[in-house]
Amino acid sequence: MKKLLSLAVGILMLAAVQNAESQSLESFEKNVTEFTLENGLTFIIIKRDVAPVVSFMTYVNVGSANEPVGQTGIAHIFEHMAFKGTSYLGTTNYEEEKPLIEAVDDAYRQWLHEKIKTNHDEEKLADLWETFQELEEKAKKYVVNNEFSTILDQEGAVGLNAFTSADATGYFYSLPSNKVELWFTLESDRFLDPVFREFYVEKDVIYEERRMRTDSSPFGRLLEEFLSVAFSAHPYKNPVIGWPSDIMATTIRETREFYERFYVPSNITIAIAGDVDPAEMKRLAELYFGRMPASEPAPILTVIEPPQRGERRFIIEEESQPIFLKGYKTVANDHADAKALQLTASILFQGRTSRLFRRMVTDEKMALAVTGINGFPGSRYPGLFIIYAFPNQGVSLDLIEATIEEEIAKIKNGEVEQHELDRVRTQVRASLVRSLANNTGLTFNFAGTHAVTGDWRNVFRDIDRLNDITLDDIQRVANTYFFKENRTVGMIRTKSEGDEVAEANQ
Amino acid sequence: MKMRNLIITLLLFVCASASIMGQTRYNELTFPDLRSFDLPNVESFDLKNGIKVFLVEDNELPLINMTVLVRAGSFMESGDKVGLAGMTGTVMRTGGTETYPGDELNELLEARAASIETGFGMASGSAFMGVLKEDFDDLLPVFKDVMLNPAFPQDKIDLVKTQNRSAISRRNDNPGPIAAREFNKLIYGEGTVYARYTEYEHIDNITREDMIDFHAKAYNGANLMIAVIGDFRTRDMKRKIERTFTDIPRGTKRELDFPPVDYSFDISVNFVNKTDVNQSNIRIGHIGGRRANPDYAALQVMNQILSGGFSGRLLQEVRTNLGYAYSVGGSYISNIHYDGVFFITLSTASENTASAIEASLNEVVRLQNEPVTEEELAATKDRMLNSIVFRYDSKNKILNEQVSNTYNGLPMDAFDRYIDEVRKVTVADIQRVAREYIQPENVHILVVGNGNEIGDQLERLGEVNSIDITIPRPGQQRTEAAGDKAKGAEWLGKMASAIIPESAEINSLTIQSEIAMQTPMGAMNIRSTTVYEYPGTILQELNTPQGLINMEFRDGSGTMRMGQMSQPLPAQQADQMKRSLNQDYVNIARNRNNQTAEYLGMHEIEGKELVKIHIGPDADITFYIDPENGLPFASKVSNFNPATGGDTDTYTFYENWTLSDGVNVAYKIVNKQDGEIASTITTNSHSAE
Repeated sequence: MKKLLSLAVGILMLAAVQNAESQSLESFEKNVTEFTLENGLTFIIIKRDVAPVVSFMTYVNVGSANEPVGQTGIAHIFEHMAFKGTSYLGTTNYEEEKPLIEAVDDAYRQWLHEKIKTNHDEEKLADLWETFQELEEKAKKYVVNNEFSTILDQEGAVGLNAFTSADATGYFYSLPSNKVELWFTLESDRFLDPVFREFYVEKDVIYEERRMRTDSSPFGRLLEEFLSVAFSAHPYKNPVIGWPSDIMATTIRETREFYERFYVPSNITIAIAGDVDPAEMKRLAELYFGRMPASEPAPILTVIEPPQRGERRFIIEEESQPIFLKGYKTVANDHADAKALQLTASILFQGRTSRLFRRMVTDEKMALAVTGINGFPGSRYPGLFIIYAFPNQGVSLDLIEATIEEEIAKIKNGEVEQHELDRVRTQVRASLVRSLANNTGLTFNFAGTHAVTGDWRNVFRDIDRLNDITLDDIQRVANTYFFKENRTVGMIRTKSEGDEVAEANQ
Repeated sequence: MKMRNLIITLLLFVCASASIMGQTRYNELTFPDLRSFDLPNVESFDLKNGIKVFLVEDNELPLINMTVLVRAGSFMESGDKVGLAGMTGTVMRTGGTETYPGDELNELLEARAASIETGFGMASGSAFMGVLKEDFDDLLPVFKDVMLNPAFPQDKIDLVKTQNRSAISRRNDNPGPIAAREFNKLIYGEGTVYARYTEYEHIDNITREDMIDFHAKAYNGANLMIAVIGDFRTRDMKRKIERTFTDIPRGTKRELDFPPVDYSFDISVNFVNKTDVNQSNIRIGHIGGRRANPDYAALQVMNQILSGGFSGRLLQEVRTNLGYAYSVGGSYISNIHYDGVFFITLSTASENTASAIEASLNEVVRLQNEPVTEEELAATKDRMLNSIVFRYDSKNKILNEQVSNTYNGLPMDAFDRYIDEVRKVTVADIQRVAREYIQPENVHILVVGNGNEIGDQLERLGEVNSIDITIPRPGQQRTEAAGDKAKGAEWLGKMASAIIPESAEINSLTIQSEIAMQTPMGAMNIRSTTVYEYPGTILQELNTPQGLINMEFRDGSGTMRMGQMSQPLPAQQADQMKRSLNQDYVNIARNRNNQTAEYLGMHEIEGKELVKIHIGPDADITFYIDPENGLPFASKVSNFNPATGGDTDTYTFYENWTLSDGVNVAYKIVNKQDGEIASTITTNSHSAE
């Protein structure tokens, strides 16, 4: 009886949430100013004067998926280089530094050419390396360490950072609102006039990032292996951080070419949220970013992942505790089925009432955690609907897999009920509403949505589109994408004592 | 303000002749004053039962968040029930109440996109409710019920225990958490309130009654504070809170008295071997201080110089100049209730481990030896002072600061006072506090990394202490409970004399055997030659159907070679080799005077009355000795199986004892697990030196 009552109240509340949401779209329209410069760079200004602070996000429509063959990791390498300053920032004398940077790159390339030979001459290699290091030392004399970041730190910037994903690269921080022009001058020069100083030391830093995120983390290793097995042709198969030999092979020359091709105004969206005057922002945008020359649109990715011919499956045996991971190939986020897949993921994983959480974690106590997402590692191109679980002690990976399989079969059989669909829609809406109350969240959400869909309003419209999804849609997409030949299964199995000898004798 | 902004911008536009188009470089910009803004009003009052309430209106979104801060935490747990507070907090929510059982609560809340959560940390607990404002009145009684009347159903207690056991089994998978945990133990002492971790045994000890007691101690008026922010009218909210929470019994206010930290400065180099990583996770440091220290502000400025943002010296040198690390940082922590730590943390490629440690410590030494420049100090202060506005950029932050100051007994203007002190910090202060509070020559260094790749680098830092992070199995301390030690020593002596009858000095032992074992692939026979070079080495050659495998274990680590392929023994296998050395009966006999033996009475196996003794602690093996000849008839070893969370007992039976070169060796050995024969080893010959 209580349940019925709460359900009824729930439906009432749903109406309330919908109401709240449409209000916020209207109120947001009033506070949002959008303009595109002549060179094609789009700005979205969100006025929010809760406090005299501003957040900035430069969102570039380039991710690791856009990298040329043999240069995986280059999008991320450039992201690191965008903190190294310009011709006047980060240097004591650019005129003298510039030829040295070029010489360093030439020396490295010569070393690289020797290094990749199967039977390289060790002595020659050592000489080339010495020459390279000497030039690096010389170039370093002109460097002012981290000057870009130091200036910002000193002026009170917070949250200075950047990200690179399979789909995009973003640069962000916040300033007190009396210093917006500082952002305009530094950010525009950063992308007009980047200098690739300390390139090779920074690559060492990146190797460390790779060791931390991937090599020394069981889940990191599993994910990297998983993507490389799941995809055949599409660059979603490559790790964002890059394969070690590609990081080694990437030089300043390729990084500059990459930058020139992809960091063009039409490929950049900037969002500014906070206590700002939109007219003033427009004036400054034209003044500083208007200088970027319009250029050819960034190259588009033409690779289409061919259909999979059969299930793919692998096991990593190692010391750490077991992890289960599976993924089905699905669609990009502009495909008609994307919304139904998003809701299916919510029905399976979101919250304590979701199907997999409830069964595997709460009721049958077989997993420490189970979750998943549609659109991995990205959603600009067709990605994967992934599901992963951390089994509890003594629970076999087979049982985990069979249980997930059973729950997927139920979705395919149409066993989802209307109240579940209503609940997840409510959750998605509410989490949007909650994300609108901070500047950084707004810039991420608005710039990202605008860059990918062409209109920031889709932040709200996408929520409305969820209303069109029916139980039939959920069942249909489950049957369309969740089948054996379309999936990849990967797991970590704990290597137990005695396996060594047994294996040696297989 | 805007007008002024515009004028200044226009002025700049005119003046900045250097930049032709009107763009201004960073160093030519001048900024208008920051717009002044009114801090929101926090309404605060006490209920009759001692509950302190704080309210802030924020109508930006139609939401209301209520947080109840609870003056209780895991510091109140007893040492044999570590984890009780956390588990109590979890089951309060997952179990729900009689009226709203956990699973129904989930449905009720999620259908409204609302959340209620409860938990306990070390020094405080909390209950949280986040709702759409329309739901507030309906859900407030539910929230109160969850806080005050948890049902603690057995099913959800079982769930939290299962989850915690799983978490323990996974705690050595990632290097970062290992480093944090083991470093904490080095600083505060293992088992103290500040460095204790839930073990399987604690989970077994914790009962439903413990949870009920803990909850009752925590949730009473004198120990609660309520903070509400959102779209409401203060007057209405005040009334609702009074109506709802005034009937909670007052109880007595708990003092947050933490035990003093017992620390004396010392130096050590510690190593945790993890063979599946290629990067060393490093922590360096010693004890830190307290918030009440008059040098707090100077130490915070010093922290910024050492490790603030991209400008800190550690990042500048260790990351940017040397390329040794992606993440590097460090801080002298001043805690409110107990001493903090001073630490440096970084991760670096195995081969750079020692150099990166030296480079990091050098930055600390530099703070002591060279005064910072006035410019660096000024820039550092700018960094701290110019970002203050972000401390108040949301109403929620302002509310939280007041609540936290009240909870911690700090004055309401604690932050303003601190900022005034920051302004006054001098170059001399930085050098003084660096010298007074930091002892770079007296630090504990911890490295979690791959011993095979690191090699002997750590030895140049000092004598290396290996830390064993094997997860203690439940009841490990209790099994084979204390027996008679004198009688144990007597029987160990008899056994040792039976194995090495003439008290010969045995330095090495070579055994030629055939091993018949059951594997998942069926039965298998292997010829083997095993050489023990006591005390620390085993060399083993296995002649398998696939070819020769050579295992070499020396001084704690080992390699395995097969054909051209050579690979380090994974830590788990190396541990296994170490254990088999410790448990080798000849090794025990040679080393009889350094063993602890306990007599555990007589025991019957296969109709034979045997003397049961347990040898520990390193060997951790139980022998069943034949009283007629003093030789072991059988032994038992318990190995913890992380996959099941339980022990697997292996019984070994010894037959055909043969004396040669002064040593008795069992020429037939049968290993049994769960009553099944797992392997049989038949020895053909042995020799000893």
